[in-house]
Amino acid sequence: MGKLIINEWVKLFRRAGTMVMVGIVILMVLGVGAFLKYDEIQNPPQENPNWKQDLTVQVEGDRAALEETGHNANLKMFYERRIAINEYQIEHDLAPETSYNVWSFISENMGAIGFIGVFTIIIAAGMVSSEFSWGTIKLLLIRPMNRSKILLSKYITVVLFGVLMLTVLYVVSAVVGLALFGLPEESFPHLAFVNGEVVERNLFLNLIGEYFLSSIDVLMLATMAFMISAVFRNSSLAIGLSLFLMFMGGTITMLLAARYEWAKYILFANTNLAVYFDGVPPVEGMTLSFSIIILVLHFALFQLLAFFVFAKRDVAA
Amino acid sequence: MSSVLTLNNVKKTINRKTIINGLSFSVREGEVFGFLGPNGAGKTTTIRMIVGLMEISEGDIVICGKSIKNDFTGAIRHIGAIVENPEMYKFLTGYQNLMQYARMHTGISKGKIAEVVELVGLTDRIHEKVKTYSLGMRQRLGLAQCLLHDPKLLILDEPTNGLDPAGIREIRDHLRMLTRERGMSVIVSSHLLSEMELMCDRIAIIQNGELIDVQTVNELIGGETALFSFETGLINKTEVTWLKSEWEATIVESGFTVETAREKIPGLIKKLTDEGVDIYGVKTVAKTLEDRFLEVTSK
Repeated sequence: MGKLIINEWVKLFRRAGTMVMVGIVILMVLGVGAFLKYDEIQNPPQENPNWKQDLTVQVEGDRAALEETGHNANLKMFYERRIAINEYQIEHDLAPETSYNVWSFISENMGAIGFIGVFTIIIAAGMVSSEFSWGTIKLLLIRPMNRSKILLSKYITVVLFGVLMLTVLYVVSAVVGLALFGLPEESFPHLAFVNGEVVERNLFLNLIGEYFLSSIDVLMLATMAFMISAVFRNSSLAIGLSLFLMFMGGTITMLLAARYEWAKYILFANTNLAVYFDGVPPVEGMTLSFSIIILVLHFALFQLLAFFVFAKRDVAA
Repeated sequence: MSSVLTLNNVKKTINRKTIINGLSFSVREGEVFGFLGPNGAGKTTTIRMIVGLMEISEGDIVICGKSIKNDFTGAIRHIGAIVENPEMYKFLTGYQNLMQYARMHTGISKGKIAEVVELVGLTDRIHEKVKTYSLGMRQRLGLAQCLLHDPKLLILDEPTNGLDPAGIREIRDHLRMLTRERGMSVIVSSHLLSEMELMCDRIAIIQNGELIDVQTVNELIGGETALFSFETGLINKTEVTWLKSEWEATIVESGFTVETAREKIPGLIKKLTDEGVDIYGVKTVAKTLEDRFLEVTSK
């Protein structure tokens, strides 16, 4: 099994495309860093001595807005959360960060997880189908290895690739962030809003947690792309469908969730687990365990389809 | 001699259409077994079933005592194969390609890889990317790939496809060497008859998914009798009559041809000279595999 993963890893990283993907992620972090640094030099951050008054004004404005919002749970949550956090800051004398530091930089770069998602989906989509289009599948499957083992090694390689890309993003962000912006002057906790209360969290751990939570939909979509690739042997279909769902799935689900309760069973209503730690679920009454069950069911469905079809089908290409 | 591969009434149906209809034959140790048939006869389908790329609808295939259906890994470890073209990872070097396959078998040492590379004559170029290889080199790399784990049975689907005469000859010599020196059995499929004639010990002819005939090459080409062509002067009518009635000869412009056993020829020559027929030459006309093939498949 280990040797099969080595094989897949060799095939993956001996291709120029893969290295380009890693390069793009690194370049993107450097680019964002350079831009922010330039911005910081042009407009040096200034301490705001009146931050308490400003926040109080904002809280009052939010209160008024909250009265006017009707049943929109998300908007309501947004205001409630901002009010609570602002009040907490006023109460505990925590001045809002004005200068950039390594943590805010890492947090900023979380946006690049979308790119990692695209790359991982492309890799997952090509994993099985390219063996068919290269014709190498015929030499791959006539070895004393079960087909399911070969498929499993391919899937593990996809997951490892995703993890590697996330690690690269996090580590490069940390290094670039430290070099350009340095550590914050005083350690400032992350303020999360859970069950109507404001909680202080360790920034470093919180960021790792956020990275992890944001990668769940990447994992699910990559698994789906992998399944389509194994079942239909068509990487274009796998890439197209998965990317479409990656960009539109959330929006469509939100539209449905506003009207129908069954929308909570849709995969994309459950991929963003962050809402249970810091926000509001798309459909009322959804819980963390409910979402995890839905995720596991989808995951199992994708895997079963992929393994069943791949192990059974005749190779005639 | 024991058999390395046995097909037992193998059938394959795809979408209710019968592609292979009850194939049964076996391949002995150390022989080159030809698999001959027109395009679409089911050669490749049969080979795909032997190597487990396709499922067998009915019947069974046994390799070295292991059924490919019930003990896939046990059976496949005795097989080295190229199915159609030897497709390799073009972005890897020849050596990296071989490493891919070496990792999937147990106990293949670096020395073994070097030995196989040497055997197929790729030592100089093995560390170059496969995309720079010529077709002949790819074919040789394909051969190296299936020899890595010392298989008992080598399966080559159209091994000489697209090769020049020198390349074809090289493959042929390799096969001879492997069967003679290492006792490997080889299955070769092709629709090129002249080539099969030179390579194989026995040939199975299949058509429309059915086995028409299995014969040794000598039998297939020679049979018990041979065709002799006589170049003679003018033959008069009486000779024509008895030639036709007794020898079933065919009269042609330059003389006649007759199909008979070799030992009867001197008698015939004597009789003709006695009758005053001038003989300028007698030669055997070897029946080509092509004639036999057309004869057998058009039955």
